[in-house]
Amino acid sequence: MTSLRIFAIGGLMSFRALFGFMSPWIYIPTLVVTPLFQILLFVFIGRSAGVESDTFYVVGNAIQYSSVPCLFAMTFTIAGERFNQTLGPVLVSPAGRLPLFLGRSLPVIVNGAFVGALSFTLGSLVLGVTVPASAVAPLALVIVLASASCTGLGLVLAGIGLRVREQAVMLNIVFGLLLIFTGANVPIEQLPEWMEAISRLLPFTHAIEAGREVVAGSGLGDVSGLLLRELAIGVVYAVLGYRFLRFMERQGRIHATLERA
Amino acid sequence: MPPVVEAIDLHRTYRTTTGTFRRRSLEVEAVRGVSFEIAEGELFGLLGPNGAGKTTTIKMLITLLIPTSGQARVLGRDVVEDAHWVRERIGYVFGGDRGLYERLSALDNLRYFAELYGVEPRSQRARIGELLELVGLEGREKERVEGYSRGMRQRLHIARGLLHDPPVLFLDEPTIGVDPVGARELRATIAGLKAAGKTVLLTTHYMFEADALCDRIGVVAKGRIVAEGTPRELKERVAEGVVVEIEVYGIEDDRVEALRRIDGVTSVAVEDRDQAQVVVVQAEPGREPTHDVLARLDGVSLGRVTTREPTLEDAYVALVTEEREQVSD
Repeated sequence: MTSLRIFAIGGLMSFRALFGFMSPWIYIPTLVVTPLFQILLFVFIGRSAGVESDTFYVVGNAIQYSSVPCLFAMTFTIAGERFNQTLGPVLVSPAGRLPLFLGRSLPVIVNGAFVGALSFTLGSLVLGVTVPASAVAPLALVIVLASASCTGLGLVLAGIGLRVREQAVMLNIVFGLLLIFTGANVPIEQLPEWMEAISRLLPFTHAIEAGREVVAGSGLGDVSGLLLRELAIGVVYAVLGYRFLRFMERQGRIHATLERA
Repeated sequence: MPPVVEAIDLHRTYRTTTGTFRRRSLEVEAVRGVSFEIAEGELFGLLGPNGAGKTTTIKMLITLLIPTSGQARVLGRDVVEDAHWVRERIGYVFGGDRGLYERLSALDNLRYFAELYGVEPRSQRARIGELLELVGLEGREKERVEGYSRGMRQRLHIARGLLHDPPVLFLDEPTIGVDPVGARELRATIAGLKAAGKTVLLTTHYMFEADALCDRIGVVAKGRIVAEGTPRELKERVAEGVVVEIEVYGIEDDRVEALRRIDGVTSVAVEDRDQAQVVVVQAEPGREPTHDVLARLDGVSLGRVTTREPTLEDAYVALVTEEREQVSD
């Protein structure tokens, strides 16, 4: 019961306490307007180059942009404790680390999925992209899965954030990597072989592919393989992230890096 | 009866690095062999200047830092091997502004930590209510912490440390930066904790606070305990000496060094007071250093000169100065 409460209630409270984007004056420009700019930019580049359809870019960028809430919020709600100087009080509590760390991912996933879905909706409305009614629910599932798997990567970055000071720099670099490597704007088959190999190991790659197929009329059964791979990647990152957080906690106690001087 | 808190030859070394391309590593020994014991229901004070190793010692005892060497036990359990068990039974109170969730209300801060400490959901509301009343924050609990004064934050820290009603409390400079009225209220709260049977380790800079609250005091300087005893025992160490205080308006370091070389002088400290400084000279019993001191301050603009008996603060200054001199030798 205690673990469940730490997972659910504790996770939500720490999200409220630490994720600075809760104000609408920050939330709307960053998580509503900016993804729309990104979608428009790549759609117009695509149109002028005559390479891919509007739908290709809307799906790709809407899902890829959900990495901002997923990565930034996940990192800030754990590593941000260090800068808030609340990490010490949290870690000297006897709370189980699994619900403590993973509970923080739940609101992050919900927020990431909301940003992805809203970006897709706004992008589609502005650009006139139509989606069959039968694709709405499967697409929603794809977006939720994409958000969850990216949050797994966020857990790994949160672990790094327990040691490094320049979290925002690290997160921007990873955002750029996901922009290039996940097929959001360039089909991964057209990337050099080594880049394509990396793409297959990243969150979003399979979800973006599944999202495009769903919008094109495929059913969930047709994309189940892609979705399972996306889920598996997310689980692997989440397990790695959790183990890494425990490792960094121990290292922090040895090297006195848990608190900012 | 076994001690509730034991520190056995604790050492803690920090490694820091400097430089961007040519990284240089530097090792700092923050704690260099600290040992002490605290009995059940005792209020033990760790007294020392900034950087003496008080907070590092507390951090090792509360499981936040792993000692470089030595051992620490709380309620008979090793703080490294049985960290989880220890965490369930200790409370930790920070000093200073930070360490609270600024965007949350005091109530939400307490609710969150009540969850982390496994306080039963059914008793949470009542427990939080009791603690808000104890620390005098009732009626303000729904306000965001970002609007709280330092004293209010400090009181919230104490409430948080008591949520799970731990038998052992570690209070790290709980009155630092708090106004005199607020500090007095906090001291009353701490005295109440001792009266309630809690075992308390308190660190502080303030001698009068340690004198008023602590059963025993350990004076820490340069990572070592340089003296330990009851406030009375510590005062007695310098009780037969004499203290001369001279108000000066600008004094150079070489003059202070010259005062230290006077035969029979045990310590010299300079305190800033508004526009002036006060030179506090302690001398061995039977010595009257005023004449020699004034002779060596010839040419310095002087104010009031007073002679008095030593206080606990003088005992502390003497101990810390002695240690500094030994280290620099």
